[in-house]
Amino acid sequence: MNGQFSTRVITLMPVAIAINIVLGVTVQQVLKLPIYLDSIGTILVGVLAGPLAGALTGILSNLIWQYAPGIGGGTIGPFAVTAGVIGLLAGLWGQLGVYRSRPASGNQLIVAAVIAALIVGVLVFPIFNNPAYTDPNIGGYPSWVFTAIVVIGVVVALAIAGFILVRKDLAGFYVAAAGAITGIVAALVSAPIAAYVFGGVTGSGVDVIVAALRQGGADVLSASVGQGLISDPIDKTITSFVVFVIIASLSPRLLARFPNGERLTATAA
Amino acid sequence: MVPDFVLRPPTGRYHALNPGTKLVLAFAEAAIAFGVRGWTGPLVVIAIVVATATAARVGRSLVPFALAVIPLVASILLINTFLFPGATDVIAHIGPLAPTWTGLGAALQATLRVAAFALSVAVFALTTPTDDLLADLERRGLGRRGVFVIGAAIGMIPRMAERASEITDSQRARGLDTEGSRWRRIRGVVPLAAPMIIGALSEVEERTMALEARAFSAPGRRTILRPLPDSTGQRAIRWVAGLGAIVLVAASVAGILPVP
Repeated sequence: MNGQFSTRVITLMPVAIAINIVLGVTVQQVLKLPIYLDSIGTILVGVLAGPLAGALTGILSNLIWQYAPGIGGGTIGPFAVTAGVIGLLAGLWGQLGVYRSRPASGNQLIVAAVIAALIVGVLVFPIFNNPAYTDPNIGGYPSWVFTAIVVIGVVVALAIAGFILVRKDLAGFYVAAAGAITGIVAALVSAPIAAYVFGGVTGSGVDVIVAALRQGGADVLSASVGQGLISDPIDKTITSFVVFVIIASLSPRLLARFPNGERLTATAA
Repeated sequence: MVPDFVLRPPTGRYHALNPGTKLVLAFAEAAIAFGVRGWTGPLVVIAIVVATATAARVGRSLVPFALAVIPLVASILLINTFLFPGATDVIAHIGPLAPTWTGLGAALQATLRVAAFALSVAVFALTTPTDDLLADLERRGLGRRGVFVIGAAIGMIPRMAERASEITDSQRARGLDTEGSRWRRIRGVVPLAAPMIIGALSEVEERTMALEARAFSAPGRRTILRPLPDSTGQRAIRWVAGLGAIVLVAASVAGILPVP
């Protein structure tokens, strides 16, 4: 086996899978929030151990969640593809050093915070302008959803900017970008699965969003894409930040033992 | 001579099948349930699954699994019946709502697919002990690393859930609000998730040492104590089921499968 699957990584993966499942069940089925939060383990393994390990963690998490005696059930199994992609991307970001602390101060911070807020705006804008939501031929979109998107966008932009400024760390900007990109890719990969396998409805909190989009007249695939583009970037950005905070709180000695460890410790910069 | 309590003879002909066979059957059933569009695929799978379950005497245990999909089915029925895009054959006008026959048809088909899938998973879960499955996968070449990852993950989930509730209790004792409005509960996720994850990560170091001390990364295959029976007949079943499922799904997708 190559370096990516050392004993330490093999020990880490089940822990990550269990974290994914326990947190995912809590957030989706108990709290019924319109986000997933079932990729913390996947992204963590991807960043620490590389793309292959991350992808495998994601795929196994979904399959075990679906088929394991006692836990099994729900609709999570077919989304193993998405989880694999998320793990792969996380490995990529890890190798690019995205999750490394980059202490900075003064103007650099302010510029980064402003750009991050603008990027959130840019991400939210296409959701606004997607013809599936605004084309009168297809039906348009109940107006409360527009307000909801604006509110969520503003809150997220402020949170990210605040993170960058308060922790005096440029990494917040890169982590947010990585999370957003991962989220968009995940949404685009999941939508066909949700639409064609499950008819667009998966029984978790996000169905409310799908219903809202259908009410506006979107077809099954567009509604799934629309729902994905609302839930996934936010979910993956939150997850990326959680992973970043965890990694930042681990000692460099511990981090260095993982395959990607050196790219995560600030001294390597 | 392997003692009886280790051998654990299985009860029933379906239970006695090789775990690999049962896994392939479960995947084939799932593929047909979702891949063969229309009414036939899911209905056939449901029939097969119920027949198998009755033969394996786990029929009654299927009921909780069937009940567990009710929230999802309710969601599917409501959203598709009332909000199916482009449908115009209205059943009745109930105030502002206009359920359609097309929507209802699509909803029922989706329900059958979900039910067929859930039941196929249930039959697999009820007739296949995890360690048997893992032992068989290892014998087929998955390797002890793969077996460890899957087995440890499954075993760790109840412990992680327990730890989550322990952390909740101790945070509550420190004043964390876990009832109340949704916003409060969201804020409660971080003080829950962070200790859980960091605690789990510190375990990783100790477990790594423990595994290494037991020659985990030594080369060579382990000897399986309890070989699981396999036969040419079962191998044939696996190939037929696997290839058959692929062919049926491909035919359905290509539109050449003449079933409703």
